[in-house]
Amino acid sequence: MVDYTALAPVGILVVTAAVVLLAGLVVSQKKILGYITLVGLLVSLGLVLANWNIHVIFDGAPFYGAIVVDPFAQIFNAMFLTVGVLVCIASLKAYGDHPRQDEFYSLMLLATVGMMVVAISKDMLTLFIGFELASMATYAMAGFDKKDPKSIEAALKYFLIGGLSSSLIVFGMSYIYGLTGATHIDAIAAAFAATPGLASTPAALLAITMLIAGFGFKMAFVPFHMWAPDTYEGAPSIVSALLAAGSKKMGFAAAFRIFIVGLVAMKVDWYIAFTILAVLTMTVGNILAVVQTSVKRMLAYSSIAHAGYIAIVFVIVSYYPAPDVAVAHAIAGGLMHAFSHALGKAGAFIAVAAIGYMILSKDGKVDDPNHIDNYDGLGKRAPITAFLFALLLCSLAGIPPLFGFTSKFVLFLASIEAGLLGLAIICVLNSALSVYYYAKVVMRMYWGEPKGEAFIESPTYTFALAIAVIVLIVLFAMPFVTPGDSVYIWAETAAKAVLPALEV
Amino acid sequence: MTDAILDYIPIGVMLILALLIPFVILFIVKQITPRNPARFKNTTYEGGKDPIGGAQVRFNVSYYLLAIVFVLFDVEILFLYPWASCYKNPEVLGVFPAFTSVALFEMTLFILLLLVGYVYAWKKGAFIWMR
Repeated sequence: MVDYTALAPVGILVVTAAVVLLAGLVVSQKKILGYITLVGLLVSLGLVLANWNIHVIFDGAPFYGAIVVDPFAQIFNAMFLTVGVLVCIASLKAYGDHPRQDEFYSLMLLATVGMMVVAISKDMLTLFIGFELASMATYAMAGFDKKDPKSIEAALKYFLIGGLSSSLIVFGMSYIYGLTGATHIDAIAAAFAATPGLASTPAALLAITMLIAGFGFKMAFVPFHMWAPDTYEGAPSIVSALLAAGSKKMGFAAAFRIFIVGLVAMKVDWYIAFTILAVLTMTVGNILAVVQTSVKRMLAYSSIAHAGYIAIVFVIVSYYPAPDVAVAHAIAGGLMHAFSHALGKAGAFIAVAAIGYMILSKDGKVDDPNHIDNYDGLGKRAPITAFLFALLLCSLAGIPPLFGFTSKFVLFLASIEAGLLGLAIICVLNSALSVYYYAKVVMRMYWGEPKGEAFIESPTYTFALAIAVIVLIVLFAMPFVTPGDSVYIWAETAAKAVLPALEV
Repeated sequence: MTDAILDYIPIGVMLILALLIPFVILFIVKQITPRNPARFKNTTYEGGKDPIGGAQVRFNVSYYLLAIVFVLFDVEILFLYPWASCYKNPEVLGVFPAFTSVALFEMTLFILLLLVGYVYAWKKGAFIWMR
C-alpha cells in the first residue's frame, strides 16, 4: 500500500472545499464557513511547514512518478497556503454577510488545491490539470461582484486571456510529447539530452516558444501582460490578492519545474530571449507603475515588475551550460523573492481592500475609492492600517528590516555571482525607480492633508495585515537568530531538489 | 525529398480537393438552378405554419445549468467506461495485483466528488424548471 501522508495537505483542502459547499446548503449562519475554511488552511499549512524537508516520489502504482513532494513543492505550497490564510481572514470581513460566500470559500480552496497540484506535479498532464483547476476557480472569483461592471470586465478579460494561454501551453506540450514521446519532465529532459540536435529543430523551438508565451501570460511577462492591470484593478481587491500572490506564483512554479530542468538538458541558447523578456518586464512594469493614479493599478504594474525580477532566474539558468553553484543560488533567490512578493502583494491588496471599504462606508459615494487622492492623510485617519500598509510597501520596495530586502539582495547577488553584472545593474536601477512610486503612496498617507474625520478600522483586516507584516519581519530576522534554520536554507534545499544533477 | 514528406503528398492532394469542391458545387448549382423568388418562399420555414416572433429569443438560464450538470455526468461515463472495461483485465492484474481495490477506491472518490457537485446543484434548484 502506498503511503499517502505526504499528500495530506492537498487532501485536507479538497475535503474542506466539499464540506464548505455542502454545509452552505444547510447552515443559516454562513459566517461559520469562513472559519471552517480557515481551520482547513491552517491545518494544511501546519502539515506543510512540519514536513518542509521531505522528499517523497510517488513512482509506484497510482501516480507513476507524476507526483513528487519535495522541498521545492513545499516552499510553493507554504506560499499558496499563507496567501490563502491571509485572503481567508480578509474575506471574513469582506464577504461576511454575502449570501453566496459558501461559493467564494470553496472556489478559493479549490484554487489553492490547483496551485498546490501544480507545485507537486512532475508530469505535464498533472501539471496542466492543476493549472486549469486553479484557473477555472479564479476566473469565477474575479467576477464575484457580479453587479459591478468592472468586476465582470476583469473576469472576462482574465478568462479570454487565460483560455488563450492554456491553449498555447497544451499546444506546446503536445509538440514536446510528439518530439520526445514522454510527458514526465525528467523523461523529456533525458530525451533532449540523449539527442543533442533535437532541441534546435523548428518543432522544439516552436514548442518552447509556446510554453514561454503560455506561462508568460500567467506570470504577466511583458509583452503578455496586457490583461493583468485591468484584471487586478477590476476584480474584488481580496481576489486580486489571490491572483497576484497565488495564481501568478503558480505560473512560476510550473515554469521553474519545466524550464529549469528543460533548459539544463537542452543546452540551447535561450539566454538572449530570457534577458530581453526579463529586462523588458521589469522596466515596463516599473515605468508604467510610476504614472498610475489608482493605487490598485499601481500595485498591478509593480507586480509585473516583480515578475521581471524573478525572471532573471531563467536568464541565469540558461546562461550556464551546466548547473553550478550560481544557478542554485539564483533559484533560491527566485524562490525567496516569489515568497516575499507573494506575502507583500497579498498584504498590499488586502490593505487596499480595507482602505477602500473604509472610504466607501465613511465618505459615501466616491468615483474610485482606490484613487491616490483618497489616501491623503490616511496616517491620521486610519493610523494602524496606514502604518502596516507602509511597511508592506517597504517590503515590496526592498527596504530592511523586511523580507523583501533579503530576497531582493539574494536574487541580485546571484546575478552578480553568475557574472551578469549588467543585468544586476539594470535590476538595481529598476528597484531604485520602484521606490519612487511606493514612497509616493507613503508620503501621501503621512504628509497629505486629511480629507475627513478618522475612520473606524476593521480589526479583521488589520489582523490579516499584521500577520503579513509579522511574517515578513520574522523571515528577515530568522538568519540572524537561528542561522541554521532560516528560509534561505529551505530555498537552497528546494533549488537543489529541482536541479537533480547538481553537485554542490 | 525524403520519404516522410512524400508520404504526406496524398494528404496534401486531399486537402486541396476538399478546399476546392464546395466552391465548384456552389458554382454548378448557381448555373443550373431555375430561380423564381416569391415572398412566402423566402420566409422562415417553421413546420409549414406562419412564423411567430423573432428568431433571436433569449433562452431560459435553466438550460445552461442543465447543460452543465449533463456535462458532469457525461464526463463521469467517459471515465467509467474504460475503467470498467479494464477493471478485471488479467494483463493488468498480472503486473499489479492490488489493481481492483485501488481502482475501486479511486472511482469511489471520483464519484463522491461528483456527487457533492450534484447535491449542490440540486439543492440550489438547478432542476426546478419553472420558478
